[in-house]
Amino acid sequence: MKKAGVQHRILMIILMIVLAAVAFPFYWMLLSSFTPRTVLFQPPYKFFRLDLSVENYRDLFFATEFLTYMKNSVIAAIGAILLNVFAATLAGYGLTRFTFWGKKQFAQGTLFSYMFPAMLMAIPLYIILSALQMRNTYTGLILAHMAISLPLNIWIMWQYFQIVPMSLEEAAWVCGAGRLRALREVCLPSAKPGILSVAIFSFALSWNDFTFAFILQTDKNMFTLPIGLATFVEQTAIHWGMVMSSAVLVSLPTFALVFFLQRYLLSGLRVGGS
Amino acid sequence: MDKKDSSQYWLWVVGTTVPALLFLTIVAYLPILYAVGISFYKKTAFSPTMTWAGLKNYSFILGEADFWAALVRSVVFTVGSVLVQLIWGVGVALLLNRTFRMMTAIRSLFILPYLLPTIVVALVFQWLLNQEYGVINQLLLQAGMVKTPINFIGGLDTAMYSVIGTASWQYGSFVALMVLARLQAIPQRLYEAAQVCGAGTLRCFWDVTLPNLKTTIVLLALLRGIWMFNKFDIIWLITRGGPLKATETLPLYAYRLAFEEFDFGIAAGACTVMFLVLVVGSIVYFKLFDPTKEVEVGR
Repeated sequence: MKKAGVQHRILMIILMIVLAAVAFPFYWMLLSSFTPRTVLFQPPYKFFRLDLSVENYRDLFFATEFLTYMKNSVIAAIGAILLNVFAATLAGYGLTRFTFWGKKQFAQGTLFSYMFPAMLMAIPLYIILSALQMRNTYTGLILAHMAISLPLNIWIMWQYFQIVPMSLEEAAWVCGAGRLRALREVCLPSAKPGILSVAIFSFALSWNDFTFAFILQTDKNMFTLPIGLATFVEQTAIHWGMVMSSAVLVSLPTFALVFFLQRYLLSGLRVGGS
Repeated sequence: MDKKDSSQYWLWVVGTTVPALLFLTIVAYLPILYAVGISFYKKTAFSPTMTWAGLKNYSFILGEADFWAALVRSVVFTVGSVLVQLIWGVGVALLLNRTFRMMTAIRSLFILPYLLPTIVVALVFQWLLNQEYGVINQLLLQAGMVKTPINFIGGLDTAMYSVIGTASWQYGSFVALMVLARLQAIPQRLYEAAQVCGAGTLRCFWDVTLPNLKTTIVLLALLRGIWMFNKFDIIWLITRGGPLKATETLPLYAYRLAFEEFDFGIAAGACTVMFLVLVVGSIVYFKLFDPTKEVEVGR
């Protein structure tokens, strides 16, 4: 009995260390973002501090192009969400409701393209979009972001429509509704959680993307947040407090997704994640 | 109304699947084919024309010491970070499998690093590992473990460890979640049966837990390996491939060829080599796990 107690206590201590290793970077990011510049560059630091200030956030909003980057990121994400939801929902419906040759190949092709690394597509896309004069445009970036998210989203909707029962649609047909009306009024409402998952993943993958935006958007006015933030640490005197405040703001949507919409995330995480 | 051969049926099939297929073709398949195509041409950023080069780009790449060095670094980064992720992930999952209080909060904490934008992870770790102002150096100094601060990111022999460590922090917690899900699916009666036969804790782990985890671990090692091998963003953001190319893996090598030396033909050749590695990995994945089972393709 006593032995078990000691063992339990040791396990608890290890657990605390593990949790600290995962949580500390978040804490330090948050604390640094609220630390005045004069304090931040005077180590050693205290791990708890109350002399907080919003000076870094003020610098971020008024002395950098943060808001421009944010606008670009939001536009790209909205475009990616709309196109992904449209294409993935239709594909999921078609792939579960009809029989035709090539479904296995479609499934394999989708999973295979989900593994394509960004750099492999970004270099040829740079050449192609340059030739079409579509670099530094929202359309080009949104299309590139679809390359990352569409395969996963097709997969999610394919799996999701399998659990939306056919009998519901059949009942609608019996009542005289056509296929389109049955899809719109019966099938789509029951597939809503799947569609929401697709929207969330399209958003997250577009919002998080560095490689595509970095290679395709070379005009400073078209930078998304990750690219803009990367330029903050390329200066000689890095304003770390401001950098941390930008990191906090960029990760806010992630926090929101994890804490409020977690159940929609789990379906997509099963596929493996890049 | 739904005869298989009616024209309306086929209109539906085409109408629902073609948008997705078209997008996938434009943004994923065509660019890859294009990259493979131009790898056989001489094509630079400065001239609009391209001329047939046969295998010249490949013989250039294979004859360049930088390529082989990048390949070796890719393997080091992949094997290193996948190993750390697996050890950390499996260890943490086994630890968490015992405590069920606060499980939802802990799970949220472990999803966070994985979903965080890479730029955030990179910036935070650059700050934590900073030579002058980094809190990790401060802790090491205070504990008396080092005399002078370590140049984690800028040091020739520490840069690769820093990159592996950062990548493992981001993706290791994901491995932990996947392994934990598998652990909780092991039926309790297996453990009970083992205990009845006189197995201790260690024996239970060896004979019940480990065999049940084997498939999950192989799957995670394979998928994470494929992804880490082709990782660009986290490495670039932390070290830019430096110092002195010490962290230049294949994707960064391809990037340098295309956007610093402006030779698209040779860069496409490097991409094709990466693609071939991906194809081999994918074939193993499809043969071993047949992931298409998850959707009922037969219907």
